[in-house]
Amino acid sequence: MQWIASGFLFVRGNTVYHRLDPRVRLSITLSIFTVSLLSHSIILLLLLVSMILAIVYVAKTFHRFARSMILTAAISLVAFGLNYYLKPTAPHDAIVFGVRLFAVISSTSLFFLTTTPDELEQVMKWLRLPHDFVMIFVIAIRFVPVLMLDALQIMDAQRSRGLEFDKGNFARRLKNSIPIIVPLIAVALNRSLDLAEAMDSRAYGATKRPTSLYGPVLSNTDYAVVTVVAVGLILGIYVSIFVSLA
Amino acid sequence: MEAVRLGMESIKSSPEVVHSVISFEDVDYSHPNGTIALRKVNFNIARSELVTILGANGAGKSTLVRHINGLLKPTHGSVRVFGQDTKLSTPAFLSRKVGIVFQNPNNQLFAQSVTKEIEFALKNFGFSDELLKKRVDWALDTFSLREYAERSPMELSGGEKKRLCFALVLSWDPEILILDEPTVGQDSEQKEKLDQIIRVLISQKKNVIVVTHDVEFVWPLQPRTILMSNGEILADGSSQDVLSDEMMLKRASVISPQLVDFAKKMDWSRPYPIDTGEAERRILS
Repeated sequence: MQWIASGFLFVRGNTVYHRLDPRVRLSITLSIFTVSLLSHSIILLLLLVSMILAIVYVAKTFHRFARSMILTAAISLVAFGLNYYLKPTAPHDAIVFGVRLFAVISSTSLFFLTTTPDELEQVMKWLRLPHDFVMIFVIAIRFVPVLMLDALQIMDAQRSRGLEFDKGNFARRLKNSIPIIVPLIAVALNRSLDLAEAMDSRAYGATKRPTSLYGPVLSNTDYAVVTVVAVGLILGIYVSIFVSLA
Repeated sequence: MEAVRLGMESIKSSPEVVHSVISFEDVDYSHPNGTIALRKVNFNIARSELVTILGANGAGKSTLVRHINGLLKPTHGSVRVFGQDTKLSTPAFLSRKVGIVFQNPNNQLFAQSVTKEIEFALKNFGFSDELLKKRVDWALDTFSLREYAERSPMELSGGEKKRLCFALVLSWDPEILILDEPTVGQDSEQKEKLDQIIRVLISQKKNVIVVTHDVEFVWPLQPRTILMSNGEILADGSSQDVLSDEMMLKRASVISPQLVDFAKKMDWSRPYPIDTGEAERRILS
């Protein structure tokens, strides 16, 4: 499970894709997201998935991406199966639904895999979201790896007290997760209280809207990529609405 | 790197192998992300031995002890506990004999009351109702937790939570007790109590392994000392030998006990005094 979860965590990289402005990376993800939702063509959706895979290759994050995609692929298969079961006369719709789900989740995963919490903060501030909301969101993301580590330590502690997670039926396993979940919540709450005190002690909230010393600046490459993305998005929307593809 | 064995025979030729309760043979361990945490670790621990594992943060101390109850399995080599290869066993089975008191009590406590917290492991290990009640009563009385018996563990103070963690592990009477950084966040009174508990356990022929970087705490206990750095054992021997070897301590980023420094400045010969009373007698004599 930890192996899969780590697929959704960011890693610092130094590829062409990582060097793009985070807002540009967000525009790529949102464009793929939008076209995936509008399109009813298997060919176009597969083309979008291929684009995602190509970006993953350029960003050199294939291993981590593959981990997060194990769960996504399973969910997409279930979605396909359910659709096909409910409407066996329309296999095309079932395939579209499955591939669309995969494209939407994988494009989001791609963004979070390649964007550090600092960059995410920049993007959210640029979008003029409330400062407190930005802080809560960024801190939550920053603490995901810490909570994962806590969960592993709690699991070790409970296994050392004779608890066997993988034994028994579903109800038994669910009951066995209580000794993990309760300390994890307690630890997370304690940590959040400590952090709140530490932030208050460092004058958090003294300025309603703090400014940044270094704001994000778009490079020529960023402008070029944004132009390509904009053209691709318009084309994608046009094809999705007006062109009939298989 | 070859471990420096101070005052110990080679493991393979040692007669202790036969009687050892814990045996590490050529143990390597790499984390799932590929980081090497242990390299060529070799040692044996005999019955009722008190051992301390010292080293800086990230030296591999906690990783090493997690091999003893099977939470981690070696990537290469073998770990045997009472002759049982840990690779062929489960943590649930090994934990009956190997109790670990983890550093952070908050990572362990979840039950509605202190009594239920102690009962948890005893039920997992299949204790009968009668024995379970006896062991819970013993733990509550021994660790002065009777007045908190029906209170939530979350309401206890840091020191009380730590005491509860000792109680809940010792309640099932493990043969080997591992204390992971037991002195972190403890006041001097708690440290004194901990010292007494360790002495009692050793007198009862139990094995105690203390993982720490608090040399001042372990020095009066004079345990066998294993010094670790970068996943390797740098030195393994008596406290008098290991904790007075300045070069080795520097390599492991561990500072020597104050009494050792003082004895060296006074130009005293070994054995160095293990407490201030002994040092005082030496000064006066």
